[in-house]
Amino acid sequence: MFEGELERRLARALRAPVPVSAHAKQSIMAEVRRAARDGAPRRMLPIPGGRTVRHSLLGVALAASIGSITTMSALRPTPNGGPETVHSSVIGDSVVDRVRDTLRLVRLIFDDSLAREVAVVGDFNAWQPGATRMQRDPGTQRWSVTLALRDGEHRYAIVVDETRWVTDGASKPSRDDGGRVFSLLHVARASN
Amino acid sequence: MTDLAIIHRVLAGDTEAFARLVDRHYDRCARIAVRILGNHEDAEEAIQDAFLRAFRALGTYEDRERFSAWLTRILVNQCRTVRARVQRREAVFSDVDLRTADVQCGVESTEDTWPDLDHALAQLPAEQREAIVLRYADDLTYEEMARITGAGQSALKMRVQRAFARLRGLLQEVSHV
Repeated sequence: MFEGELERRLARALRAPVPVSAHAKQSIMAEVRRAARDGAPRRMLPIPGGRTVRHSLLGVALAASIGSITTMSALRPTPNGGPETVHSSVIGDSVVDRVRDTLRLVRLIFDDSLAREVAVVGDFNAWQPGATRMQRDPGTQRWSVTLALRDGEHRYAIVVDETRWVTDGASKPSRDDGGRVFSLLHVARASN
Repeated sequence: MTDLAIIHRVLAGDTEAFARLVDRHYDRCARIAVRILGNHEDAEEAIQDAFLRAFRALGTYEDRERFSAWLTRILVNQCRTVRARVQRREAVFSDVDLRTADVQCGVESTEDTWPDLDHALAQLPAEQREAIVLRYADDLTYEEMARITGAGQSALKMRVQRAFARLRGLLQEVSHV
């Protein structure tokens, strides 16, 4: 079979209708009605100037092992585009205590008050969307997770509502050989 | 009524209007999900989750992008989630022997159907399979595919080329039996 003929036949076969369950659409609408009763769909929050607030990656905090000061420096995009530093914080010793000294606690903070689910994917969890979920702080509404990582460079991205792939806005995203977009996380001992 | 007009009605509180979007896009989603996942049960789960997530996130939809492309992006992500779950559940799923499958299936191949094709698609790596389905089942441009998959256009072209070459070999192997 010639290449052009194979391509045409492949397109015809892949575009052919597939049989579907008679009740599939009704099942979807039943779930949609249930979600509507729970308040979906969520609306974007309008802000002056006609833009809408979506999210911002606040940043990364590196926590060193016991005895050293744990710093959390985070970056947040400002209206004029420049970064601003968020105050340092400390991750409790009781958490650090259980981690071997070759690992460092890395705290990721992400800001999207409209998100329903936020997860981190990266080399450290084989890019599995459900493996590392972030938790929302009921007070600040920010999402965070603490990872135990070895020193070095780690590729990662944030997945919002399993539909949006977000990279760190504070740095230029990179692509791997397969075209996947990611941010780089440099893990090293925090400077005191 | 356009997709955007329907979306505005849904956002204004007319939940039932969403059924028109389901009607309009379900068959296309089914073609994509069944081809990517390889079976109807998993595909229906992915499609239902995708429509539900689209409904919940409808307020974040921006009309700079076609609704169909936005929905496809959600669907592809759901297919990846379902695939990962299935892979964890089924540690080993034996490879289908194309020649055996052909004999057992006994479905006559016509211009628009190609029973061997599903078996051949199942032999492809997930990323190649996803790329070739989006390229041919939905006639998407590489630019649209890049937005949907998060992969670069050159990487997608490479995946389609490799998938195409692999399929050609697999399908010719079957036809020679």
